[in-house]
Amino acid sequence: MSNKYYEFFCPVKVIAGKAALEHIPYELTGMAAKRPMIVTDKGVRAAGLLDPVIAACEESGLEIVSIYDDVPPDSSTSVVRDIAGIYRSEKCDSIIAVGGGSAIDTAKAVNILVSEGGDDIAAYAGAGVLKHPLKPFFVVPTTAGTGSEVTSVAVIADTEKHVKLPFTSSFLLPNAAIIDPRMTLTLPPHITAATAMDALTHATEAFTCMAKNPLSDAYATAAIKKISTSLLAVMDNPKDADNRLELAEASTMAGIAFSNSMVGLVHALGHATGAICQLPHGLCMSLYLPYVLEYNLESIRGPLGELLLYLDGPEVYAATPASRRAEASISAIRRLRDALYKHCKLPRTLKETGKVVEEQLERIADVALDDGAIMFNPKEVTLEDARAVLRRAWA
Amino acid sequence: MIAKRIQPMVFQARRLYVELMFQVMGRALQAVSEVDASVQNDARALPVGFLFEMMVMPYGSRLIVEHVGNGRFHYHGTSAPRPVDLSIQFKHIAHAFLVLSFQEKTSVAFANDRMLVDGDISYAIRMTRVLNRLEAFILPKLVAQRAVKEYPANLHLPEKLVSAARIYLKVASNFVETVRA
Ligand SMILES: [Fe+2]
Repeated sequence: MSNKYYEFFCPVKVIAGKAALEHIPYELTGMAAKRPMIVTDKGVRAAGLLDPVIAACEESGLEIVSIYDDVPPDSSTSVVRDIAGIYRSEKCDSIIAVGGGSAIDTAKAVNILVSEGGDDIAAYAGAGVLKHPLKPFFVVPTTAGTGSEVTSVAVIADTEKHVKLPFTSSFLLPNAAIIDPRMTLTLPPHITAATAMDALTHATEAFTCMAKNPLSDAYATAAIKKISTSLLAVMDNPKDADNRLELAEASTMAGIAFSNSMVGLVHALGHATGAICQLPHGLCMSLYLPYVLEYNLESIRGPLGELLLYLDGPEVYAATPASRRAEASISAIRRLRDALYKHCKLPRTLKETGKVVEEQLERIADVALDDGAIMFNPKEVTLEDARAVLRRAWA
Repeated sequence: MIAKRIQPMVFQARRLYVELMFQVMGRALQAVSEVDASVQNDARALPVGFLFEMMVMPYGSRLIVEHVGNGRFHYHGTSAPRPVDLSIQFKHIAHAFLVLSFQEKTSVAFANDRMLVDGDISYAIRMTRVLNRLEAFILPKLVAQRAVKEYPANLHLPEKLVSAARIYLKVASNFVETVRA
């Protein structure tokens, strides 16, 4: 018998589709929550995305007690402390995060403080520190990419000590993720493209990295299929609610996949690039994905070849000899990337971003080698290897 | 304690083996860090006085090494002079045995949720790389290919050290055969 073993866990209720937001009041009452607080950012509010959420609650006689709309793109321990203070003084009893990765991570951290007590979020950093369930918590994602609504991780910057604090616990998972096409309908094209590429990367890495397992595989392949059939349709017609919903669902499914099977070198390089060059995460994913797949090719030929079915459909899959499918999968991803460049000038290389100088590649390689994601990359990565991938992604 | 009555010898053997391998690895970590540039490079990024622990949950065997500077490790045996900075914890002795008998790669064990990291993840990555390198040193190439993701092309270590460690390995493979059966 082989040593094969895996774990899979996702207790998040997924509430998805038309009029999904209107289920929030029922879900809150089901957990005896009467005084919810919304945690969000200025962009979400300005785009008018809070209105349908608030309307949905008020129509059911549920009052939103407090709205914090000042979450910065890179949230910090002081922001978390402030929000927890408001939550307490307003006597809230539950949290609804409305937004992207930062708002969701912030809300997760706030939930730790308001449930466990204290003002020092750093005391709860690390894995497995939390031992009890937290307050009722709901997430309404407004980007289709990060998958944070189904991950048990939050990262918060400690601005005084200049470190990023990771928090890992299954208690961080929300009670429900509410996926409503209205939330992503107004997402600008380049963000739609970049976040979808993040989701595609989650699914692709989940399916090709070391911790892949049958359950995460099922989520990953389904997510890839949805992205490859819906992304360009949405780019052509941003108001296409059906395909918007497909992308949002794909993002959640890819999130479920990677939170159970982890990611690899694309994310290690992406995290490093984000930290050093302030490049958006989704864009980094789009830049590195094809080159990392090429680097990993001989270690992942089998699974990568299988992905062709979901990337290019059954006709292409059947017409491609088994020995060429892995390469064909990489080509399909490159074609998608090139199409996105045509649509919204989503950069294809590091150079095209205009935000990276060649001298930074060394540093990016150094930092990437210390990133947690590199542990699960199917092929060992040395400093030289990382540099080589970066040089290929340069121009 | 029914299980104990059924296979007492096997459990006893496994425990002894894990303890022995922790000792071998602890000493080998110190030895390799004195001669191998690649291990030193990875270790140098660790703070001086950094304490690394590998242990079996809940209170089982453990090994503790300290980074004493310049990429060198010092083996402390099973007790730490102060709270450790990074702890890699096997969830069960059975999982420690899988890894320490080289039936499961360290990175696969992480991927398979066999162990937990308590501490800075980037230090954990470095220590995993050091452990990979170490496994490649003390194992015959054939076994090492199973234990690490890739067998490094540039291994140069005094033959004496290698053969000393491999003696333990002989013991190890016998254990695996006995316990696996
Ligand atoms: Fe990502």
